Amino acid sequence: MLSEAARTPGSRQEKILIVDDEELIVVAMRKYFEGLGYFVDAAHELEEAQALLAHRNYDLVIADLRLTGIGGVEGLQIVSDIHQRAANTRVILLSAYGTPEIERESYNRGADAFLHKPKAMMEIASVAMNLLEQR
Amino acid sequence: MSEIALNRILQPGGITPVYQPVFRAAAGEAIQMHGLECLSRGPKGTNFESANVLFEYVRLKREESLVDRACIAAAFRGASSLPSSLRLAVNVHASTLGRDHGFIGFLQTTAAATGIGLERITIEIVEHAPPWDGMSFLSALEALRELGAEIALDDVGLGLSNFKMLLDVQPDYLKLDRYFVETCAEDSRRRAVISALQRLASDFEAEVVAEGVTNAAEASVLQQLGVTLMQGFYFSEPLPLEQAQEWCAGFQLAGPKASGLRP
Repeated sequence: MLSEAARTPGSRQEKILIVDDEELIVVAMRKYFEGLGYFVDAAHELEEAQALLAHRNYDLVIADLRLTGIGGVEGLQIVSDIHQRAANTRVILLSAYGTPEIERESYNRGADAFLHKPKAMMEIASVAMNLLEQR
Repeated sequence: MSEIALNRILQPGGITPVYQPVFRAAAGEAIQMHGLECLSRGPKGTNFESANVLFEYVRLKREESLVDRACIAAAFRGASSLPSSLRLAVNVHASTLGRDHGFIGFLQTTAAATGIGLERITIEIVEHAPPWDGMSFLSALEALRELGAEIALDDVGLGLSNFKMLLDVQPDYLKLDRYFVETCAEDSRRRAVISALQRLASDFEAEVVAEGVTNAAEASVLQQLGVTLMQGFYFSEPLPLEQAQEWCAGFQLAGPKASGLRP
């Protein structure tokens, strides 16, 4: 559950990057996290996300694993990309098709959370805020 | 913006040109306008409005050539309404020159269509790409010179703009990245690097252009080190076309003060 303080709009300074090619999901997540006071960028392609990561700092990246465009564990390269840029950036991976192997490998590579889609926005936000508070 | 981000960047109006004045500011002499660097911004309201993000994305997509062409077309269209006495610098990836065998023809056609003489053009070579065809690259440089264009090497001292590139390109201008300019007034090591590059440029019969000049102290130090070509927010930020037109008209009519340029 989110604390009352955590629900206070406009009270956050952290920057979040949402990486998903489904516009409806991007719009919904952006609106939700901006409502909580976070600064939010969104990328709809892996390369767009990589370009943003190369020039901007984020506290948290929430990425749909499918967007990596590569099936299997090879697609987890994005986690390495993120941590090469900023070791302290937290990473949440979302996947509708994640196998136990991919999930295990995600954590091995440094993902902080692996969530199976579909997930309620509140649940994603709860994980996100806990990770940000741990930094 | 979805997967078709690249299409949106490439569609008409996807690239917006902005123009940053470059000045010749020699110590003890009146400041002269040397030319304009044509810069590009991606579609409004997207992450690609930032040039850094735009070109990082383009390089990751390995579509430098397509986007270089779009940027040049947009820049030339706008520049056709700017004073013809000014030089125009456009950025081109080395990989575009090395891989896009139709690029020189495109440049000629676009210049002719917009009434811009190629002798006014400086091609600023930027390079962040994987290996490209060296022979094609050098042939393209030769063709550009035969057409009257000048060559600048961007980001000298950073990344792949190294001594080998200097020898290969033999540029007319060495663009000194803002990294070396910022705090040069306080940092003797930065001044040492600038001084060395100025001597190197001189030996190459080239000129240094200092980018990212933000204050009088930096401009003064650059002058003392022999660097006279400068651009940066101290003089002018990159300007949308209409403002660039007004700016150039003001500068030509009444000199630096009328254009807001610091003395």
